[in-house]
Parts: sequence; C-alpha cells; structure tokens
Amino acid sequence: MEKSCTLLVHFDKGTPAIATEIKEALEGSDVSAKIDAMKKAISLLLNGETLPQLFITIVRYVLPSEDHTVQKLLLLYLEIIDKKDQKGRVLPEMILICQNLRNNLQHPNEYIRGVTLRFLCRLNETEIIEPLIPSVLQNLEHRHPFIRRNAILAMMAIYKLPHGDQLLVDAPEMIEKVLSTEQDQSAKRNAFLMLFNCDQDRAINYLLTNVDKVSEWGELLQMVVLELIRKVCRTNRGEKGKYIKIIISLLNAPSNAVIYECAGTLVSLSSAPTAIRAAANTYCQLLLSQSDNNVKLIVLDRLNELKSSHREIMVDRIMDVLRALSSPNLDIQRKTLDIVLELITPRNINEVVLMLKKEVMKTQNGELEKNGEYRQMLIQAIHSCAVKFPEVASTVVHLLMDFLGDSNVASAIDVAIFVREIIETNPKLRVSIITRLLDTFYQIRAARVCCCALWIIGEYCLSLSEVESGIATIKQCLGELPFYSISEEGEAPTDASKNSQQPSSVTVSSRRPAILSDGTYATQSAASETAFSPPTIVQGSLAAGNLRSLLLTGDFFLGAVVACTLTKLVLRLEEVQPSRVEVNKVSTQALLIMVSMIQLGQSPVLSHPIDCDSYDRIVLCVRLLCSTGDEVRKIWLQSCRQSFVKMLSEKQLRETEELKAKAQVSYAQPDDLIDFYHLKSRKGMSQLELEDEVQDDLKRATGEFIKDGDDANKLNRVLQLTGFSDPVYAEAYVTVHHYDIVLDVTVINRTTETLQNLCLELATMGDLKLVERPQNYTLAPESSRQIKANIKVSSTETGVIFGNIVYEASNVLERTVVVLNDIHIDIMDYISPAVCTDAAFRSMWAEFEWENKVAVNTIIQSEKDFLDHIIKSTNMKCLTAPSALDGDCGFLAANLYAKSVFGEDALVNVSIEKQLDGKLSGYIRIRSKTQGIALSLGDKITLKQKGGS
Amino acid sequence: MVVLAASIMSKNGKVLVSRQFVDMSRIRIEGLLAAFPKLIGIGKQHTYVETENVRYVYQPIEALYLLLVTNKQSNILDDLETLRLLSKLVPEYSMSLDEEGICQTAFELIFAFDEVISLGHKENVTVAQVKQYCEMESHEEKLHKLLLQNKIDETKRRMKEEASKIDQMKIEKNRGNKGGFMSSMGSGRIESSFSDMSISSGGGGGFGSGSGFGLTTDIDSFASKPKGRQPSSATAPPKGLGMKLGKNQRANQFLESLKAEGEMIVEDAQPSKLSSHIATALQPTDPVTLTAEEKLNVTLKRDGGLSNFDVQGQLSLQILNPEDGLIQVQIETGGNPGVIFKTHPNMNKELFANENILGLRDPTRPFPTGQTGDAGVGLLKWRMQSADESMVPLTINCWPSVSGNETFVSIEYEASSLFDLRNVMISVPLPALREPPSVRQIDGEWSGAMEFVVPPADSSSFFPISVRFSATSTYSELKVVNILPLKGGAPPKFSQRTQLVTENYQVV
Repeated sequence: MEKSCTLLVHFDKGTPAIATEIKEALEGSDVSAKIDAMKKAISLLLNGETLPQLFITIVRYVLPSEDHTVQKLLLLYLEIIDKKDQKGRVLPEMILICQNLRNNLQHPNEYIRGVTLRFLCRLNETEIIEPLIPSVLQNLEHRHPFIRRNAILAMMAIYKLPHGDQLLVDAPEMIEKVLSTEQDQSAKRNAFLMLFNCDQDRAINYLLTNVDKVSEWGELLQMVVLELIRKVCRTNRGEKGKYIKIIISLLNAPSNAVIYECAGTLVSLSSAPTAIRAAANTYCQLLLSQSDNNVKLIVLDRLNELKSSHREIMVDRIMDVLRALSSPNLDIQRKTLDIVLELITPRNINEVVLMLKKEVMKTQNGELEKNGEYRQMLIQAIHSCAVKFPEVASTVVHLLMDFLGDSNVASAIDVAIFVREIIETNPKLRVSIITRLLDTFYQIRAARVCCCALWIIGEYCLSLSEVESGIATIKQCLGELPFYSISEEGEAPTDASKNSQQPSSVTVSSRRPAILSDGTYATQSAASETAFSPPTIVQGSLAAGNLRSLLLTGDFFLGAVVACTLTKLVLRLEEVQPSRVEVNKVSTQALLIMVSMIQLGQSPVLSHPIDCDSYDRIVLCVRLLCSTGDEVRKIWLQSCRQSFVKMLSEKQLRETEELKAKAQVSYAQPDDLIDFYHLKSRKGMSQLELEDEVQDDLKRATGEFIKDGDDANKLNRVLQLTGFSDPVYAEAYVTVHHYDIVLDVTVINRTTETLQNLCLELATMGDLKLVERPQNYTLAPESSRQIKANIKVSSTETGVIFGNIVYEASNVLERTVVVLNDIHIDIMDYISPAVCTDAAFRSMWAEFEWENKVAVNTIIQSEKDFLDHIIKSTNMKCLTAPSALDGDCGFLAANLYAKSVFGEDALVNVSIEKQLDGKLSGYIRIRSKTQGIALSLGDKITLKQKGGS
Repeated sequence: MVVLAASIMSKNGKVLVSRQFVDMSRIRIEGLLAAFPKLIGIGKQHTYVETENVRYVYQPIEALYLLLVTNKQSNILDDLETLRLLSKLVPEYSMSLDEEGICQTAFELIFAFDEVISLGHKENVTVAQVKQYCEMESHEEKLHKLLLQNKIDETKRRMKEEASKIDQMKIEKNRGNKGGFMSSMGSGRIESSFSDMSISSGGGGGFGSGSGFGLTTDIDSFASKPKGRQPSSATAPPKGLGMKLGKNQRANQFLESLKAEGEMIVEDAQPSKLSSHIATALQPTDPVTLTAEEKLNVTLKRDGGLSNFDVQGQLSLQILNPEDGLIQVQIETGGNPGVIFKTHPNMNKELFANENILGLRDPTRPFPTGQTGDAGVGLLKWRMQSADESMVPLTINCWPSVSGNETFVSIEYEASSLFDLRNVMISVPLPALREPPSVRQIDGEWSGAMEFVVPPADSSSFFPISVRFSATSTYSELKVVNILPLKGGAPPKFSQRTQLVTENYQVV
C-alpha cells in the first residue's frame, strides 16, 4: 500500500526556502518566525524534500514551544514525515516525540488535547502510540466535550490498527459505557461509530435496546444508525426484519439528510412494493421541497434508478415526478422528462400530455431566455408520447403547429418533423393537419422548416380543393412574379453592396461541399447552412411572403424544393381535376415560377449565382412538367411516399430492437439463483444482493480498488530501458491508471563495483508530470533494486517519458550517465467508446478547432472491413447506423466518436471510396477541442491503418 | 457518507490547499483534483460533477473553487451543508480570496477544515464554534498558568500547600465526575421491554399447520401509564400475525403491508445478546446495594375464592469494596401485621427488634464483599400468608360457555389499586385448534375484558390460566433508610432496589 497523503499545499517554486534559514528561525525565540519556518518546512516536505537534519532541530527547539499554533504545526509536521525506515521499522528517534505527545494529552488547554487526539487518529505506528494509551483513556472522561469527541475517535483509530485490539482490549466495553452516559451529540455519534466499526454486535445491541429513542437522537447519530443497518443487513439478510421499523420511524425525522438516507436504505434493504413506494414518495417529496439544483438532480438520479428496478411502482408516481418541471433549470427539466417518458402507460398518458401541453403554453408567455430550448425538449417529449400512443396525437398536433413559425428554428423543425410523422401514421388527422398547415404556412420563417412543410404539402394534399389551395398558398408566399425585374436593377447596386458586406467566406463556403449527417457530401447553399446555428430569425417582411424573402437571400435549395412541390401538386392535380384546361393553366403557372427562379439564380442581383444541384433539380422539374409519363408519375406520386413509410417503419424497428436488447439484458443468467415466492415467501432477499456496495464505493473512490490484471498481461508491457551491456541494466513495466502512470523500474548493477548516488532521473513531454522527486540509492555489485515512479496525467495526449540513470562509481569522481529508451504512453488507454446524438456531433464538428486529416492508405480491400479495422484500432464507437453502411455501393462514410477519461471529445469522420483498381482511397478526419487528441489519434490511425498484419 | 477531501483550487486548475480525511495516496488525490477542472461544464446551474468513482461538490468563490470530493453514495444534503459551512469559513481566515491569499493562510484553513470534518464525517458546528476551537483560548490553561506563576513567586512551603490544595481539588473533581457518570446507568433498558398493549398469538407458524400444539393467547404487557385507547372489536387478522392497538396507525399499516408482501418484520426486536449484557448493565455501580425482593405464590379458584396466597421476601446486601464492609443498615417497615420477619443467624437480633437496625452480632467483623453472585448476602427474610381476597393484586374471571358449535370465552380481569403492575402477561391455554381463535372484543386498562371464540371445547381446557407480572412496591413496604458506618466518617453511597415478582400465580 502506498503511503497515504493527508494534505496538499501549493508550493511556490519562485521563492524556495533554504534549509539553513529554516533551521535558524526554528532555533530562534521569535514565535512568529518559528511559525513561518514550520510552515515552510512542511511545504518543502510536501514538495518531496526529505530534510532529514531538521528533525533534531525540531525536537530540540520546537517541541518545548508553548505557542499553540506552533504545536499544531508540529503535529502536521509529524503527520507527514516518514516515521519508518526502509524495512518498515519505526525510526528510533521517534521515541523523542512520545513525551511531547503525552504532555499534550495532559495539557491544561482542552484544545491542545483535542488536536493531539485528532493527530493520533492519523498515526499508524503502534510503537509510538502504545505509551500514550493511558493518557488517551484519561481524556475519555474529561468534562470538555471537545476532548471526549476526539478521544473516542482516537480510540477507534487505534483499535482499528493492526494488533490495535491488543493495545486496547476492553475499548468496546469502555465506549459502550461512554455511549450510555454521553450527552454531547457529536461525541455520542463518534462513540456509536466506534462500536459500529470495532464491535458491531455491541452497536446492534445498543441500537435495539434504545429502539424507542432512535427518532429522538441527533441527526448525526441517526445517519450512522442507518449506515449500520445497511451494513448489518447486507451481511445478514435474515436480520433485516428487526430494522425496518427503525427506518420507518426515521422517515419522519426532521432532518432532510436523514430522510434521504432512509429512503436509500429502504431501497437497498427491501424490494417489497410498499418499501419502494415509501422510498419513491420520500424522494418525490424531497424533489419538490428542496430548492437546491444539486439535490434535485441527484434525487432524480435516485428516482431513475428506482425506475429501472421497479418500474411499475414508479408509474404511479409519474405525476409527482413531473412536477419537478416547475424548476427553471434545463438539466433538471431534461432529466425529469427522460424519466417520465419511460413511465408512460395507456393509463396515465392523457394526464402526462395534458401537463406537457400546459408547460408548452407556459413557455409562450414567459420570456425566459431558455424558453426556446425548453420548448424544444417538451415538443420532443410530446412527439415520443405521440409515437407510443398515437391516440394522443390528435389532441396535441394542432397546438404544436402554432410553433411552426417559432423563431427558435430547432423547435420549429422538431414540430415539422413531428407533424410529418403524425400525418403518415394517423390518416384520420390528415385533412385537419393539411388545412391548418396551409393556413399557417405564411408564418414559417426558417428555410429548413419551409422545406419540410412544403414536402408535407406536396405529399399529402390529395383532394382537388386541397391541391388547389396548396398551389395557391405557395404562389401567395412567393409573391408577384418575376422575382427580379429591370426596375429592381436600379436598386441592385445598393442591394449588392448590402450583400457584399457579408464576409466573402460565406460565398466560399457555399461552394464547399458540406457533410450531411450521414457523412455523405452534399452541396448546400450558404443560407441553409447558417440555419444550423440557431436561433436564426430570417429577415424580410411578411407582406412580401416568406418564401420570396428566403429566395431573395439566395436560398436556392429551397427554390428546388418549391419546384418539386409544385411539380408534385400539378401531377396530382392531373389525377383529380377532370378539366384538362384547368390543369394546363396551373401547369404553366408552375413552369413560370420555376423559370423565374432560374432566372433569378442567373441574374447579377444576387451576390452568388444558383448552385448546380438546385439548378439541375429545377430544370428537371421543368422538363417533367413539359412531358409527363406514367413511369415518372409513379415515382413522384408513390415511390416517394413509400420510401418515407419505409423510413418510419425502419425507425420503429430500430427502436423496438433497442428495447428488446435492453429487455434481454435483465433476464436471469442460466446459473442465477431463483427465489420461489411460494417456497420462500420472502421477496427481495436474494443472495445476489449481498455485495458490499458501500465499501466498494469508498474503495473505488480512494483508489484502493484497482484491479490488477493477470501477471501475464503485465509482462506484456515490460519495456527495456537500457542495453544488456550497459553498466546499469534497467527495465520497467508500465501500469496505466486513469489519472496516473506507475513505472516499476528494475535497476541491476552489472559491474563489480558499488554504485553510489544512483538516481533515476525522468523527464516528461506532453501533459505528464512527475509526482515525486527522484531519490539517490546505493547499489551493491551485481545487485538489483526496484524503483517506483509515479507520473500524473492530466489530459489525453501521446506522452513521452525519457530519462537517464546517473551514478558515481567509487573510483571515478565524475558522474556517469546512461540514457534510457523513451517510453511512449498510448492514447488508447485513455479513450473509451461513447455515444452522442447526431446533432451534438455536428455542432461539435463545427465548433472544434483542431482537425487532423489523414489520407487513407491501406491494403484492405473492402470498405466495411476498413471501417471495422479503424474502429477496432482506435477504440471508438461508430455512430452511423449499420443500415446506412449496408450494401455495396463503392463508397462509405461514417462518424466515430469517443470520450477520454478527462471528458474530452474525439470526433472522427471516415469517408472512403473504392477506386477502379480495387484500392480504397479517401480521408479520415479527426477533430477535437485540443491539439493533443487530434495529433495523437492521427498518429495512431496513420500507424494502424495499413492493416493486413 | 464520507468526505474524502476538502480542497481549494484556482479556476485554472492549480491546487492551493487540500485536506484529505481518509487514507489515499498522493497520486490519487492529485489525479482527482487535476481531473476536476476538465469535468465542470460551462453554464451549468448545478454545482456537482460525478465521475465513475467519485462525486465532486463545489462552489465557486471569486477566482477559486472550493470543493469536496466524496464517494458517490455520500449524502448530498449533508455534503452541501458542509460545503456551505466551509465557504463561510474561508473568508474568515483568508483576507483576499485569490491564490495568494489562500496560499498565505493555507495552514489556518487546514486547521479550520479539521474542525468541520472528522474522519470524513460531518460535525455539527457553527462558524463561531470553529473560530473558537481554532483560537484555542482556554480558561483552564490560564488558570493553570496563573497557578504556575504563583508557585514560582511564593515560598517553598507555601508552594507545597498550594500543591496539596490542587491535588485535593483534582481528587474532588474526579470524584464528582465519576459520580455523575454512573448514576444514569442501566435505566434505559427496563423501559424498552414494555411494549404497548397487544394480543399476540404465539408462534404464527403453528396455526396454519394444525399440528395441535396447545397454543396460548397472551395478553401481553399492560403499560402502566394510561394512554388514550379506544375499545374496539376485531377479528384476528390472517396469517396469525397478531393485532395491535393504539400504535401509530401509519407505521402499522406500513408494516402490515410489508408483511403481506412477504417481508419478514420483527416487531419489538430485542437485543440478541441480551442475557450476557443485562448482567453487565445491572452490575451494581454504587459501593453498597440493597435488594428487597418479594416472590408471590397465588392460586385462585376459577369459581372465585382464594386457595393459596403466600408472599416470601428477602433483603440482600451487596458491597463492592471491602473497606465499606463495616456498616449497619437502618430499615423501616410498613407495619403490615401479617408479615413475619426472620433475620440471618449471624445478625444481632436485639438490635433489629429494638431499633430496626441490621448489624452483625460481632461488630468488628465486616460484611462479606465482592460481586460474586448477583443476589448478595441475605440479611432478612419475611413471609406473609393470607386468606383475604382483597390482598390479591390481580383477579381473573374466565367464563367459557358453549353455544351451538362454538365456545365463547369471556375473560375479565381487574387489578387492585394496591400495586402498579408492570409487564403483565396472562396466558390462557387453548385446546388444539386448526385456526387461530377469533378475538371478538378486547378493551381495558386497569381492568378489562376480552372475548374470543374457538370451536367447541371442554371448559376445563382453558385452565390453568397463569399470570406473570412485576411491581416496584412490596407487601412489606420495607425500606432502607440509612447506612450507618461503624468506623465513623461519611456514610458510603448506597442504592436500593425493591421488586415484587410472581413466582407462581395461577387460576385453576
């Protein structure tokens, strides 16, 4: 076990204190100088200096000091110095401090006694403690509670030491006696804690004897009681019946902390519905009564855990949980909605949706800055409710359609997507939705929302009147034709100058291929790209029509969509309109619109001309309207819808599959223990729950719980640091933990001389830092030594550790240096696969500054194989759905994502194409917030991508 | 519930001060603290972060972060309170809330942190208390120093006197402490064994099995203090789990429903290792202990009348230290004419007859001492017999009557006002039954009635009814008035216990 570290103090390297100065100040009689010197000495010690000569000075000049601060600093000093020699024996000079400690324990000042007792809690050397025990015991009965508190803790610490029970044989009895008479809350708690830790049976006995008074005990004591109950019940499940009553009585305690703890204990003890219900109730109460966001979030976490283990009980609590939405904090609202969405059932769906609707309404009038985001969350929640329970769609869809014109683009798009799905899945609602959509279409401000709405209009206007009013609406929104005229040309220069103010990069970027969410390239106009940074409020007066103003900003992608929609509507009109003349009339009008758009696109009015994709598409529509055919008609009127239906069903399929996969996990394993209710009649006492969670939790937190891999694995990481013929041979094995790297270096003296002052000097590159200063060793001929070095890591980066071994041989005066091999730290130890949403990925992709582009160079022939190879060698997660990677089309694009242990994001996009000669070509782009990850990951991929081996 | 460390770091991630409260290696704590700045998101409205293993709870103070590192199961409400207290303490000790200010006062802050968290557990302290603890102003120390000063100033003789006085003071103080320490021992335990009134049928499992055990219906433990209880009629609940009156209704329902769901609930859980611990708990702590105990043997006839009434009493003495052995005991009796006293052969009979003082025939011999045997030395015995029914502390009237294919058993009981009875238990034997008896009615406080129904049975099968109880007053009303030390000086402290218990109390 590594030495424990009890305090850290920042050490300012700028003004290093010199040992001799400290010594002088300590020897002097000026108290404040002494205090300063002690502080400096402690700082130096913490910084890795050993200052061995200082000990005697301190014993001689500091020990006798009467000043309280000096005494307290002295205790800190004693806390951190090495009290043992290398073989683990206590240093003989330590006996010198015993007398001082004993005096302190009998000091008339109660605080000196107290802090000395507290110091004993941190002392591990029984040899020092043994002579002090009578004094400790005396303090147990001191009239000052401050002393008693600490005396009890000291006894606990001593008793828990190895062989401590022999030093204090009757400690539990004594403490039990103390417990029965003690009045001070804190001392009482400490006494109970001591019994709990040292003699559990006694603690239980005390608890059961005083069962009626538990509810009157102080908060501190009650907390320990609950801890005890949890521990006892974990090791001895059969006992828990005795304690449930105590927990119930504590559920009414005045302290919220106790109530929270009670609920947790109840859940860990029992899985009976009543117990879980009581716990859930308590959590819900806390959720509403506590105003602190931290508490709310953590309570929501607890409720989330309850939800996954006891869903049917949480279903009843759904409305209570939902009330947490009243908090203005987005994180709380998000967590609440997440929990609630998994709890909806046919029984409560109406109530939930009603509440959500009310919340949506509330966001309309209050002008909070986060309202937009919150509304988006609510809309998504309602959306998923409506998908699960289609019957509620009718009640919400009209309300939500009011938000199509929302200035928050993201929530408007969510509404549009919602409407699109509902109109397909709920045919009954089609007519009313279309009517409503046509009525409100003019309010839509954002290009992306317009596109989606236009698609809906084109696809779902079926009857004659609908088609006609659909065409009319579009026409109205486009305004008078043409879009640009000679007369406007007069204004053009001003218009152009206005446009030219936009940075030229926009124009450039509009020519740049953009990557769509699935990773494929697409040409997109600048206007629609800027729409990605919400909220975008599109300028332009309503009178001019929303489509018109958008087109005039140069959004020709929208123009293409308008053209397609018109084509679709005209084709449908042919089917429903008996009069040929009417159809032709409408058709020509549509053609005129399309031609006007192309004309606008090629005019010099706009700063940049129409892009090729949109142009092609509009021209295609023009051609189609001029010569229609059955084949084309079928594609436009049916196939389009079919692929949408297919997309929806695939989405549903994926969701159900995910659900299935989730459900599968919780099934019992073949050799699991099964409780038969009828045979046992004690539900929730499964032996499976026996694990000592709390203890593990604590151990994990203090880092005591590091799983040592098997030794064979360890040996794989042995690195040779020097050559076999060097005078000193060194090899290391490298253990990488989360935040630190441990080097275990074996150094062997290959010469026949004694090597003195042998020192392993290490230096680091990257975000690595040495924790301790190197020490000097003496190495006998042909002998070996293990040296441990700790290196702190603070970010994910390829780090390099290099260094020397320096030594002096007896007959040579100068120091000899052996240079070590470099040790490279692998980034793969720090990143782990993670998942994020498409939108999050895209916004990070846009935001991150560092990009590393690696050209594909591999012998792997298949695109899919190459992707798998990259995923495997980088330890990342593929975000692109497998269905999108299916098939054999000669190219592949995929997004990969991972997170480092330090919370850094790593994004990778793989875009590859199969060349004619069968080779793969393309690029792998890595983006990250910091340079380190982009570089290291790039190096890694360059190294591994070749494959084949 | 454990705080691993309390730290202050600057916003750019420099650790300024950190105090650890559990054992952890340096690399671990430094790693945890180094990871923290990367974990906190921007624009969050909450101030905690969780990682796989730990939770950070933090609070920004100007250009600094004050943070607690806890394990993930730690109680957030507690931790937040601790954090709030610490955040109030930091400005108290550090003049300027920046890196420099904190570095200058790092050690003072560590001392303050130590007062708020001990071994990872929260202490209930206020800012003022912490300041007081850290200032370490001690009245006692001042006193001590003053005395020390006097010692130097005064002559040697004077000094000696002073010293002896201090010694005297110390002894007295110690004694005072000890006395206060022991007086409240052992009082807690007796209380807890009184449960509220309940009727429980013993051995729930036996009922269902129909194995024909003679089951008993116990009227368990009357509480001596009157409590508002409504008489209620009830049928025995299913599963033979018993019926309770006058308990917290909510908790009761809760427990019942837990039981119905298959949880095993033990009500009135008794300490498991009781036997060995009572002994220690009841160990006499006063130098002299006197115990007056009366045992009651009563046989009542089922049709009324008394067939036997016999009280046997004994006064015993227990002395802890041999130096307290030379004493005499002054007693006082209630003057009950039926009581006949008999002293131990070694006692001075005349002294007792004339002055009611119990002393050894040989005044130079001390009483035997020591803790061996819990009864001590018997000094005095007495006996009382009577045929007077009014002396009986508890009368029971039990009427089994067969009606159709059922037997109704009505039991009426009445306590006399002579005694305050505790832990009363009335056990009624039952014939072999398949189902638990259905209790029709139950009420009562000092006196009361109960009715239950069982399938037809011979009326004699409900007898003998046996009763157990205890009381703190006795028939003899014997009291120890004083202890008279024979060698002079202050009388040693003594304690006395008086108890009436049933040895054999039956209705036949």
